[in-house]
Amino acid sequence: MPKQQPKHQLVTIKGTKDGLVLRLDDQCAYADLLEELGRKTQDPGLEGAVEVKIHTGHRYCSDAAMKEIIQTVQSAGQLRVSKIQSDVITVEECNQRIREQQSETYIGIVRSGQEVRAKGDLVVIGDVNPNGYVSAAGSIYILGRLKGKAHAGNTGNREAVIAASWLEATHLIIADQMETMTDELAILSEQPEMECAYLHSNGFIAIDRLQDLRLLRPNLSTFKGGS
Amino acid sequence: MGEAIVITSGKGGVGKTTSSANLGTALALQGKKVCLVDTDIGLRNLDVILGLENRIIYDLVDVIEGRCRIQQALVKDKRFEDRLFLLPAAQTTDKNAVTPEQMKDLITELKRDYDYILIDCPAGIEQGYKNAVAGADRAIVVTTPEISAVRDADRIIGLLEQEDIEPPKLIINRIRRSLMNSDDTLDVNDITSHLSIDLLGIVLDDENVIASSNKGEPVVMDPNNPAALGYRNIARRILGESVPLMSIDTGKPGFFGKLKSLFKK
Repeated sequence: MPKQQPKHQLVTIKGTKDGLVLRLDDQCAYADLLEELGRKTQDPGLEGAVEVKIHTGHRYCSDAAMKEIIQTVQSAGQLRVSKIQSDVITVEECNQRIREQQSETYIGIVRSGQEVRAKGDLVVIGDVNPNGYVSAAGSIYILGRLKGKAHAGNTGNREAVIAASWLEATHLIIADQMETMTDELAILSEQPEMECAYLHSNGFIAIDRLQDLRLLRPNLSTFKGGS
Repeated sequence: MGEAIVITSGKGGVGKTTSSANLGTALALQGKKVCLVDTDIGLRNLDVILGLENRIIYDLVDVIEGRCRIQQALVKDKRFEDRLFLLPAAQTTDKNAVTPEQMKDLITELKRDYDYILIDCPAGIEQGYKNAVAGADRAIVVTTPEISAVRDADRIIGLLEQEDIEPPKLIINRIRRSLMNSDDTLDVNDITSHLSIDLLGIVLDDENVIASSNKGEPVVMDPNNPAALGYRNIARRILGESVPLMSIDTGKPGFFGKLKSLFKK
């Protein structure tokens, strides 16, 4: 059986001001795509090391498929994939993203030995007692006394903050930066009310008035509308 | 149908056993039928404090393993006719000899015959604690005005809140008037706001508590003792009376004290 030739190009190479973009057809068979991709990227017309972006359109590619595509493109040795873009994600990934952007609310006291973890932001209504631990991928907001340990941005978000009505924590961690509050405690306990901790541009955790958060992290606001 | 109350603290040496003995005695003095259960298997003390050590024949593990009936193991306190009994812990085995399910069955059986079952919990949060809490309907957490005891109380309250029982209540034991009035220890308000549970009562520190425990007579039997008053008040609150919290200010000021306060104005 003779191999059916595709009527239109499965891989379109476009030059943009940021470099080359390989646009992959999202309706054809994956094997055909890979075959054409290999052929096109071997094209002797391409010279020198070039960075390319790949756009997979509405085709969902598993991690293994992505790897295969990258390998195919890079096998010629001239192209280097800088980024892969896709218009689709799985439901699971979507839910994960929603969770990361949502805030979870815990009502109660986080007592010694207890842990509360959130995938997005975390709102605690109650105290966090010494040896209690709260951790979130996003920011942590505590309506009550924070007297234990808090870790905001636990997946590496350096923009995350820890805000509390009463900030008297033993340990503050933001992303990978930890601060033990031994020295600061004296300063804090004089005025621990309504404070927030954030990662200062100098790389250390700083503590400021809660009211200053709008200037420090304006992007945290998700409020739409109003006047 | 009676009520089972576990008396716990997390930290050792804050007065769980002393409190159990005194509260049990105080409830018996109020005319209730009380059974004290010592769950500190391997390190039993409650029998000593009650002065019943010599009369133990069978113990809790004997009952659970079916070597005797509950009635045979219960030790009667003769000072209270038929109102105060003790189920002593075993001394020769360890805490793993009993499972929470077995404890639950045992306590359920005792609840049929007694108004109150006070369960004296061992220190720690391991098997012994789990056994003690298994059959309880309510919990009392004992702490002292020391930061270490309060930390452990916080831990135990966290664990108790995950059990299927009523919210635990707090007893602050061994309060020393002079220290508390001079702000050298945590005061009652600090502790209750930190732990944020209801305060059941406070007990003042008193030398006679130790002296009477050594004699095998719970201090609560002496109506004039300040610590005894604390325990009696707590017992009345357990029975549902509303009793005002006793003051921890040092009695009346002396002559010079009065003079001083005059000048302060």
